[in-house]
Amino acid sequence: MKQFLKRLLGAIPVIIGVVLLIFLMLRIIPGDAVSVLLGDHVSQDTIDRLTAAMGLDKPMWQQFVSYIGNLFKGDLGISYTYGLSVSDMIMEAFPYTVKLTAMAIVFAWAFGLLAGIISAIYQNKLLDRLFMGLSLMGLSMPVFMTSLFLQYLLAFKLGWFSLVSDGSWPTMILPAIALGWNSAGSIARMTRSSLVEVMQADYIDTAKAKGLRYRAVIVGHGLKNAMLPVITMMALQLSSMLSGAVITESIFAIPGIGRLATTAITNRDMPVLQGTVIFTTIIVIAGNLLADLLYSVLDPRIRKGQ
Amino acid sequence: MKKLLSLLLCAAMVLTLLAGCSSSSSDTSSDATETEETETTTETEAAEVEETADVSSDALHVAWSADIETLDVHQTTDDYQIPLNVYDRLFEIQLNDDGSTSLVNSVAESYTVSDDALTYEFTLRDDVYFSDGTQLTAYDVAFSLIRLLALDTSVQTDFAACILGADELIAAEGYSYDDTCEGIVVTDDTHLTITLAYAFAGFLYELATPAGCIYSQAAVEAAGDSFGTDYTYAIGSGPYVITSWTRDSGMTLSYNEYYWGETPDFTEVNIQIIPDSSTLSMMFQNGEIDILDCDFLDSAVVSATYKTDAYEGKLVTANRLGTSYLALNENDESLSDVSVRKAIQMAIDRESILAAIFDNDGSIPDGIYPEGLIGYTEDNQGWLEYDPEAAEQLLIDAGYTKDADGYYFAMEIANDNDNSTSRVNVIQVIAEELQAIGINCTITNYDHATWLDLRNSGEMTAYVSTWTADYNDPDNFIYTFFGTEANTTQRSLNYYNTDVMARVVAARAIVDDDERLAEYAALEYQIVAEDAAWVPLYSSSHLFVLSDRIESFVPHWAGYSDFCFATITRAE
Repeated sequence: MKQFLKRLLGAIPVIIGVVLLIFLMLRIIPGDAVSVLLGDHVSQDTIDRLTAAMGLDKPMWQQFVSYIGNLFKGDLGISYTYGLSVSDMIMEAFPYTVKLTAMAIVFAWAFGLLAGIISAIYQNKLLDRLFMGLSLMGLSMPVFMTSLFLQYLLAFKLGWFSLVSDGSWPTMILPAIALGWNSAGSIARMTRSSLVEVMQADYIDTAKAKGLRYRAVIVGHGLKNAMLPVITMMALQLSSMLSGAVITESIFAIPGIGRLATTAITNRDMPVLQGTVIFTTIIVIAGNLLADLLYSVLDPRIRKGQ
Repeated sequence: MKKLLSLLLCAAMVLTLLAGCSSSSSDTSSDATETEETETTTETEAAEVEETADVSSDALHVAWSADIETLDVHQTTDDYQIPLNVYDRLFEIQLNDDGSTSLVNSVAESYTVSDDALTYEFTLRDDVYFSDGTQLTAYDVAFSLIRLLALDTSVQTDFAACILGADELIAAEGYSYDDTCEGIVVTDDTHLTITLAYAFAGFLYELATPAGCIYSQAAVEAAGDSFGTDYTYAIGSGPYVITSWTRDSGMTLSYNEYYWGETPDFTEVNIQIIPDSSTLSMMFQNGEIDILDCDFLDSAVVSATYKTDAYEGKLVTANRLGTSYLALNENDESLSDVSVRKAIQMAIDRESILAAIFDNDGSIPDGIYPEGLIGYTEDNQGWLEYDPEAAEQLLIDAGYTKDADGYYFAMEIANDNDNSTSRVNVIQVIAEELQAIGINCTITNYDHATWLDLRNSGEMTAYVSTWTADYNDPDNFIYTFFGTEANTTQRSLNYYNTDVMARVVAARAIVDDDERLAEYAALEYQIVAEDAAWVPLYSSSHLFVLSDRIESFVPHWAGYSDFCFATITRAE
């Protein structure tokens, strides 16, 4: 418990560091919210008046101090562009992104593992060729192309899915496949090659010699040992999936967090941009923290070793 | 193993959050409905409408490429579709069959103007009600105009700045609902008088712009800070009320039962936010969208897909009261030379640009004013010819000599990354044509916010942009670009001719219409032909494609992407 509290306290400077970095970076890049808000209808009087009304005429350190102060009260500020509370906006957009990435992960893992195992069993047969071809396609195509291709073929030409998603589960299937295909491809290929390699090991021969059925050998002995590199890769794919979600959200008109962040950067809507970055950072830190905690619970050596 | 664990934990956390968020968001929306119901007792109808927010297939389906930022027209210069459909104005601008426009009464039943053109007396209709059932009065009109001027975050103050006392309201810090304006006096529920600080011919047209929307004072006060973001307070007297709004996803409107005008054919409207243009095009072809705005598509796609037999008779072409131009910064060493600017005017083959990039949908005015704008005159047309040899000769005569690479001098055109494909193509053609006469023209890309900042600073060398009319008057074009030194700086023009600027300001107050228009024509000629401070390019038409469900559709008089839903009729 003490260990956990220590880690928790250690996370606070990391968050403040990230906030400071983002705060500075966003103010170094040229362009400001007032200019974007006014667009073509620009006039110096209006610029000055709006800048003052938004509090942007104050020195940067003052803005930072008041931002941090509010942050500790759980207040992420008010969007320059929309005049809405940033935390409300994030909370509204976040469920869509979670839904999309969760479904994409489920698809990638399910399809990837299944295709990998089947390909390993029917090595160099038609089914293997088919699955490996599909995997290669997923791997080589960028997410936006996959999305456009699937949307055109399955939704527009064949009419099996709706063109855009309204946020419900059925309409999320197509975007999730588009987003997950790339990961599914690499998982399938990794599973296949790893399994094929393991199947040549001596203990597999032993299992076969015991008279076990081939399928039981694969699942019970081969797969267990072949999974380790695959699992490592699955974890690494999460971040690439989150960045791919930005594109998928745009093509399938899903109002998720990726679109929130991209619109915010176009509008130079600093509070929203800061909010989305801080939010993601906190989730990553919290995830690591909980993992560490659970690890020490599960493995006594880590607890005792410290 | 550790990574897998953290991943699973992340997923678990995220799912808990998801559960938490979805319930809390539905909570807030029902809260909003409840407060609204308890606050006003006469609003049972409004509440009933809200429950039927489900969109039937009977509704009109349209799409936006991005969601609007606010419902409060005082705080936007862009998001006009909701104000145009939810609120009324004193006057409207009507598009005539011959392409001209005229000012028609809306909430104003009649008005008189004093001989010195300073005092306007308005009589309002007495049968106009807001969507909450309360009557629209002259007090609401005065309240809306004062808020437009006094609100610290108002971006529309220009549209009422000629009213007596407006300057004080704009300059004063803070805004209270009790603010008054010297020039705005309410006599009774249906009468008010507005006095101007100086005569201004465009005043009534300004009242007809979206900035002139009439708000319900009670609704604005009840909303407080959430006015513009909470749709339940968007209470107007226009044909529609908002029944739902999910940010970045869509909005539904339904007919305002208290509306004083004719009942529209489509009593429900469903707006979807579709950021991707190819998705939008496919949705239209699938019958999921009724009006396709071709401004959101690449013009090559429009030609290939919609200018075909399959869509014959379904294409609507709107004249855009807007003009695209190449701006040249006179602070730049080479561009400060009038011969250079004249050479650039002559080096651009505008006819080919219009033909190749816009499939000839549009026109190529030789001045600042587009066809259809009051003040547009044939007298100022036809003088500018494409002549690259003569253009190069101008440079040689001005004393320029070629460097080792074969160029007289270098210049840069700044491209906004948000520009449409068509606009980027135009810039590329211009750069090539300038290269052909020996100007080493390069294109630099900037992201939208950076581009705006650079332009506003007055340091952008050259750029291509479009100006579309806010109200039908030459002042709206010429004053914006050449009215004051600050205006020409912010457009990165840095026009040097202060005499002309003084005349542009003086022209606003000319009462006699013939004299005024003659002055505007003379100013246009001076700026474009004599000073070459403006490089006219083209005025492209605005195309829309209609689905089979639409019988007729009248675009906005200025060719905006925003239009009125009430005038759209359904095919039998």
